[in-house]
Amino acid sequence: MINFDNVTKAYPSQSRPALENVTISVDKGEFVFLVGPSGSGKSTFLRLVLKEERPTDGHIRVSGRDLARLSNWRVPMLRRRIGCVFQDFRLLPSKNVYQNVAFALEVIGKPRRFIRKVVPEVIDLVGLEGKHDRLPDELSGGEQQRVAMARAFVNRPMILLADEPTGNIDPATSIGIMKVLDRINRTGTTVVMATHDAAIVDSMRKRVIELEYGKVVRDQSRGVYGQAY
Amino acid sequence: MRAQFVLQEIWIGLRRNLTMTVALVVVVAISLSLLGTGLLFVKQVDATRSYWQGKVEISIYLCTAESVSVQCKQNGPATAVQRQAIDAQLTSMPQVASVVYQSQAQAFQQFKQEFSNNPSFVSTVSQGDIPDSFQVKLKNPQADYGPVATAVTGKSGVDSVIDDRSILAKFYKLLGGARNAVVIVALILLIAATLLVANTIRLSAFNRRRETGIMRLVGASNFYIQLPFLLEGIIAGLIGWLISVGLLIAVKSLWLDTLQQYFTFNVILSAGDLVEVVVLAMCVGVLLCGATSFLTLRRYLRV
Repeated sequence: MINFDNVTKAYPSQSRPALENVTISVDKGEFVFLVGPSGSGKSTFLRLVLKEERPTDGHIRVSGRDLARLSNWRVPMLRRRIGCVFQDFRLLPSKNVYQNVAFALEVIGKPRRFIRKVVPEVIDLVGLEGKHDRLPDELSGGEQQRVAMARAFVNRPMILLADEPTGNIDPATSIGIMKVLDRINRTGTTVVMATHDAAIVDSMRKRVIELEYGKVVRDQSRGVYGQAY
Repeated sequence: MRAQFVLQEIWIGLRRNLTMTVALVVVVAISLSLLGTGLLFVKQVDATRSYWQGKVEISIYLCTAESVSVQCKQNGPATAVQRQAIDAQLTSMPQVASVVYQSQAQAFQQFKQEFSNNPSFVSTVSQGDIPDSFQVKLKNPQADYGPVATAVTGKSGVDSVIDDRSILAKFYKLLGGARNAVVIVALILLIAATLLVANTIRLSAFNRRRETGIMRLVGASNFYIQLPFLLEGIIAGLIGWLISVGLLIAVKSLWLDTLQQYFTFNVILSAGDLVEVVVLAMCVGVLLCGATSFLTLRRYLRV
């Protein structure tokens, strides 16, 4: 589903590349944790998958497509098949839960009938039934992240990228978030989650890829956060 | 394409940016009005010029008892013989198209008719004050004035030779100057309007960077992301244009048309001319706002 072949990404202002000779292959339906300290290249990895950045060297394939050959006007089509969740939720403060989720479908021109049917289903899936009319301000951090996940998942993407989704949330609430991600993963969606949260990684027992200074230092199925020797 | 959604986004954009939008509308309205006024002026001058084109002549005024010039005082009023001599000379010249003699009575009648809307002025003039004259039409007014004028100037019985064009030229110069001033101010304002459009759209894009960020993330096409901004600029331009239409109608009916009374030209622009100018102003307004929005967006909403 996601294939990095010897990918290097160097930003012009920095002497050390953000990613260096990274080769990673993520299969369809996998759940992968991307771990490593700040500045290890986790976010760069996610941005490269979205084609928000171009690699300096190497090839990236997402669902069989070579991103280097994907023309600019086709990039939106790629992004429609990838959902994104962030540490800071990125909800629209003037729109309520329903409108925030529906926004993702409206801006890609889906018919209203389809939106009316699908949005409530996804809001139920993330566990926010009965809270359609709440504004983001009126929700807890965990609930806001659920809205963000509903928005990321509402178009049924093949891949869900999560950049430290539990970074602003307390551990107890994080468990709920992880359950939703697991539920999304069970529908066949590939999930890649960048995180610092050792407890979560340890408890999930999924594949762990560890980055350090832009290099893959560990790739382990059913791994834990810390070094396992 | 969801029209309702796009309209809603435009409305949000215009409302959030209200002060800038109002400023934009006002500047567009004023600059388009001035541009339109300049164009109306051009049309007025052209219409007046073509009206007069067929009528421009050389007037050769003859000496009368009232004439004050030195040569008339020495020789007295023109006699019938002198008149015939002048007539014969003019008719024989190859450059002359036609010669018409206008007696003092005819001249006074024409004068009364031309200034019929100003009776107090007419009452100060009596028959005999206006000299009789030859109205000469030339085949080629540009080149032939010189030779014809020199041929008759100084002949006995001739008071003065006046090129009608030189009188009109002064008037055209006046109109032309006013027109140029209006067009220059309009152009400067159009530049200001362009900058304002760019700024408004930039502000609007900044205000909605969350929305556009999410739109990009979920895979909205560039067209869909940019359309609300583009339409925002165009709608502001159209509102400005509508206001300018009102102002232009006022300029034409209250000013240009009343100006006619004082000049007794009777060349009033038709409604068609006004429509032409108004449509042109719309094209300029929409094109300016649309193109500026588009170019600004290319710089500030890059994928």
